[in-house]
Amino acid sequence: MIRKVLFWLVTLIVLFIVIGPLVWIYLTAVKSPGDIFTTELKRLILFEPTLDNFKRLFTDYPYWYNLANTAIASVVSTAIVMIVSMLAAYSFARWNTGYGHLLFLTISTRMFPPVVAAIPFFMMYRTFGLLDTHVGIILLYIYFNTSFATFLLYGFFKEVPKELEQAAMIDGYGRMEVFRKVVFPLVGPGLAVTTVFCLIWSWNEFFYAFLFTRVSARTVTVLISSFWGSIEVQYGPMAAGAAITILPTLLAAWFMQRYIIRGLTFGAVKG
Amino acid sequence: MNTKMDNLEEYAVARKPSMWEVLTSERYFKWTLLIPLLLLLGVFMLYPLFYCIYYSFHEWGMRGEAVFVGLHNYREMLNDKAFLKAFGRTLYVLAICISCELLIGLGLAMLWSREFKGQNIVRGLCLLPLLVAPLILSLLWNFMCEYDFGAINQILDAIGLGKVYWWSPKFALYTICLITIWQWFPFSVFVLVAGLRSLPRDVFEAAKVDGASGWYTFRRLTLPMLSPLIMIIVVLRAMWLIRLFDPLYGTTRGGVRTELLDWTVYRTAFVFFDIGYGSAMALFSLLLTIAICAIAFRLLMRALAR
Repeated sequence: MIRKVLFWLVTLIVLFIVIGPLVWIYLTAVKSPGDIFTTELKRLILFEPTLDNFKRLFTDYPYWYNLANTAIASVVSTAIVMIVSMLAAYSFARWNTGYGHLLFLTISTRMFPPVVAAIPFFMMYRTFGLLDTHVGIILLYIYFNTSFATFLLYGFFKEVPKELEQAAMIDGYGRMEVFRKVVFPLVGPGLAVTTVFCLIWSWNEFFYAFLFTRVSARTVTVLISSFWGSIEVQYGPMAAGAAITILPTLLAAWFMQRYIIRGLTFGAVKG
Repeated sequence: MNTKMDNLEEYAVARKPSMWEVLTSERYFKWTLLIPLLLLLGVFMLYPLFYCIYYSFHEWGMRGEAVFVGLHNYREMLNDKAFLKAFGRTLYVLAICISCELLIGLGLAMLWSREFKGQNIVRGLCLLPLLVAPLILSLLWNFMCEYDFGAINQILDAIGLGKVYWWSPKFALYTICLITIWQWFPFSVFVLVAGLRSLPRDVFEAAKVDGASGWYTFRRLTLPMLSPLIMIIVVLRAMWLIRLFDPLYGTTRGGVRTELLDWTVYRTAFVFFDIGYGSAMALFSLLLTIAICAIAFRLLMRALAR
């Protein structure tokens, strides 16, 4: 009995520590400036909720425009990444193409510190006029998601038994048909999970967006970062913006919880 | 049989296969599938790499001609106190974060290793911060750790522990570690929970029958069996931590003694526009990651093969 109480006590404390800060974003988002900057403990929790922060965010800042930029960059880059890496991962998984060396090369791009690519790309973009354009940021997102997606899908494709494909080939299917009609449906969940991960990585991306976008292609993370560090600190709109921006990622985390560990360990641990 | 084969061959020679047929033939199909990826890698990986190597031997400020200076940039790097300090600090952060995450992870994984009611809810809630943008979380923590009106200090004050200057030069680095640990400890926890649940039951029962103490079982049975997973956690986290950037931008912006490796590179290349020197430092950072990545790759492939 005592064990059980202790167990739940620890569990609840951990949950409080994990969830508390996230809840804080939503609480701050509906507070008036007076309640945000209060030094009374009571007023931190008991306050009159207001939607002023959201109103200010929508009228004074191009929030929706920047959110749309993020969405466009995420969706387009993910679509291209998925096509490229699906084909490559299948090749790696089925024929061990390049005996692992090519796969290593692929995954090591994901591990490149972003700065290494940032310097040359900045120069190149400046020459071609790609700075602060959607195409530019989409290309960068493709670059850093492809290797991740390839490796994750590699694990999923490996789980499809070879015999199934051979049986289909004996039945007279060509390579393309085997891929389309046999393998593709079997890795459906894997494809879905990989897609969501790629979407989230580009959604959250800050470093490249910060360096490569200014106005017309500015993503939402850059907008939110600009609330802090300017002349006055805009905690209210910042929290309101953050509250909306993180909502899709929170939902994804909740509904994909079975696959998160698998995704983050590149498929090595099946959580 | 023989004649039929001959006929087929003749037929194949007579008709030149189309491009599509060659690409999807048994022999070349695997390479065909790789074409888009190889093109992408060629442009996005080799180009920056050679660019960095080239400019790391030059002195260039984005304008005018690049001047060849040989190994000067590398020599400068090894004598640059700020850079070496940032490097040391990065290793320090790595050590703190990984060891704390592993300890918390092991503890909680042991606690949650058995199936219990509501475990899916607990898991779901714990994993929530993992996928949230690190930048947004760092801004949030920056706000919560404010000295006067930050929630953390007010709670500490109410309990009677007194307020803490979270962003003072003494604490700032640890505060950043704390943010990172807070976001990532659930990762270690649930990797290890997955590991613990997949361990064979009978070994532990045998140990119990033999009268092994709890601590002994943990040290001699559980830990060794978990070690492949622990290695995976260490290596993956090391790879992510080496390029810690977002939490710095959201909080101290490299001030108050928190400048880390990638921040130094960023500042050199994009604030001081010293491309040559920045490239040299970027390459250093890259070599470090590739070394860790090589280990990670081996471990991951071994885990996938199982």
